[in-house]
Amino acid sequence: MELFFNPFDNLLCILLGISFTVWFTLLLVFIIVPAIFGVSFGIRRLYMKTLLKIFEWATLRIERGAKEKNHHLYKPYSNAIIAKDPTSLEEEIKEIRRSGSNKDLDSVSEFEMSDIFYFARRGVESIMDDEVTKRFSAEELESWNLLTRSNNNFHYISLRLTVLWGLGLVIRYGILLPLRVTLAFTGVGLLVFLTSVIGRLPNGRMKNLLSEKVHLMCYRICVRALTAIITYHDSENKPKNGGICVANHTSPIDVIILASDGCYAMVGQIHGGLMGVIQRSMVKACPHIWFERSEVKDRHLVAKRLSDHIQDKSKLPILIFPEGTCINNTSVMMFKKGSFDIGATVYPVAIKYDPRFGDAFWNSSKFGMVNYLLRMMSSWAIVCSVWYLPPMSREDGEDAVQFANRVKAAIARKGGLVDLLWDGGLKREKVKDTFKEEQQKLYSKMLVGTQEDRSRS
Amino acid sequence: MGAKQTRSEHDHQDLVEKTGFSVEQIQNLHKRFQQLSGNEETISREHLKSVPALANNPIRMQIIEAFFDKRNQHGNELGSYEEIGFEEFLTVMSHFRPPTLRTTTEEKETMRKEKIRFLFNMHDTDGDGKITLAEYRKVVEELLSKSGTIEQEAARAIADAAMLEVASTNVPNMGPDDFYEGITFEHFEQILKDLEMESRMHIRFLDVNTTKVHCGK
Repeated sequence: MELFFNPFDNLLCILLGISFTVWFTLLLVFIIVPAIFGVSFGIRRLYMKTLLKIFEWATLRIERGAKEKNHHLYKPYSNAIIAKDPTSLEEEIKEIRRSGSNKDLDSVSEFEMSDIFYFARRGVESIMDDEVTKRFSAEELESWNLLTRSNNNFHYISLRLTVLWGLGLVIRYGILLPLRVTLAFTGVGLLVFLTSVIGRLPNGRMKNLLSEKVHLMCYRICVRALTAIITYHDSENKPKNGGICVANHTSPIDVIILASDGCYAMVGQIHGGLMGVIQRSMVKACPHIWFERSEVKDRHLVAKRLSDHIQDKSKLPILIFPEGTCINNTSVMMFKKGSFDIGATVYPVAIKYDPRFGDAFWNSSKFGMVNYLLRMMSSWAIVCSVWYLPPMSREDGEDAVQFANRVKAAIARKGGLVDLLWDGGLKREKVKDTFKEEQQKLYSKMLVGTQEDRSRS
Repeated sequence: MGAKQTRSEHDHQDLVEKTGFSVEQIQNLHKRFQQLSGNEETISREHLKSVPALANNPIRMQIIEAFFDKRNQHGNELGSYEEIGFEEFLTVMSHFRPPTLRTTTEEKETMRKEKIRFLFNMHDTDGDGKITLAEYRKVVEELLSKSGTIEQEAARAIADAAMLEVASTNVPNMGPDDFYEGITFEHFEQILKDLEMESRMHIRFLDVNTTKVHCGK
């Protein structure tokens, strides 16, 4: 019996040893070394093209299948449920009154009982469909990308499609996921280790140079850990020292995407646990701005630290996401004015994800961080485009809010996103009462205005 | 799976008959319901209060209450719900459905009456079948600014004048000491009888096959 097992044991060990070696060599050659030097073999792009062809085929198959069986193909939620009339408050009230009474009314005069129609209808319209609540749920797709999580039509359509989906599942969870997790650990581990080592060096040019190289290398490994295929446009506008880089926020991955192409000083709150360890070691190598929890509330302190950092031209540009929360990448919401108040040059950056390969939006009320990362790592790929816009500064006579809105409009235009006035904080809080009072004032002005006319005549 | 319908499609068929929406519109509204409720089975007042566009509306509390009002459910119950499900949500929405070419005159009359009933319920908050002066004043005050151009006194005066007009139209021989209890549903109907309601109080529901979403470049 023992003789029976021994040769197999040896064989097993040898096989395992060989496969590990092969695995690591491949990893090193194809992923880590290019990451260090910043070159790419182009494998990821080829992968992307192949995937697209498969997705198109899958979608056609579903559509054909649905037609054959006369099923109702549940098309994705398009932009509106209802058609809203763009008439203003005044016009509508005139219309209502004209149809009600026989008097000849040229203007909106005294109060009538029927005025309430307008508000009732508008109110119900808002409940049916409003611009803001839509933005906080993930965007719907037209073609199916073989992930059940993004498909509502997943019925058993054909054997071939199910087999393909099953194969996709095996590849994603069996091959891609372990690979990516290994890479992620390698990347993060290297970052912590190397930055701590560099932290021991005396301050000077050597330290800055090394720190730059190390940061870039580790972020590039992380990028490959997510299989992120990024296209950078207009790199001549990349942020320079002493400036602030602002970008629209869709997920925590945004940081990795931007930081793998340039060096930034990060701003944020110190966390505990693994994040805290990473943060503390990063700050040894180059000056990032981390705040204690208690300091975050103090706006003046925050503003002072930021402006101190900018004054020093040897320090890296600051990276800030002014929306304050993750939006689902179809629109840009209100920018908080804090970072625009400091008086530095602003370098806007627009990030747009291609949702066909994987949905990068982090719905923090639905998923926790670990869950989110697992989802990211088990998608096909993350494809996105980054546009560096030319720098902007605050003009004379412009206050911080106007400047913020100008930057926001530029980012929205470049990235093909919708520019909204609403505050991203609405994801968690309620709207202030001031908006209701605005409408009340408008209506009252209408009534009072005409009464004044009457009393004069 | 063949020709077997999914469970939701089966329920929706019932709702088509009850509310008059098409299957596609119901599916769209169901999606909206789920968005508002955060994927739960019922909606509470808190969910509706958090719709930002509604915040613009001066009578938003009345509108939210209308969804929870039992009188708007085509039954004879009074009072209000704490939470509503999808069927109740649809029933309230169906008050705003426009008439189609196939709607007969009788059906139009019924729809019109339903719409007036909806507005009446919005004013008559205690459910006694009459809009009293106090109740009417409340609505007018909500419509006009509490802090702005029209003062509370002026708002009251407007409400009082409106009530007086209703009283004089409907009870022509009222003496100086008679007390006008409140606007009943019939009086309310009378005031609004010339108003062309069909186009004022409806919302055009789109069918699904409208604009396509373009993602990425």
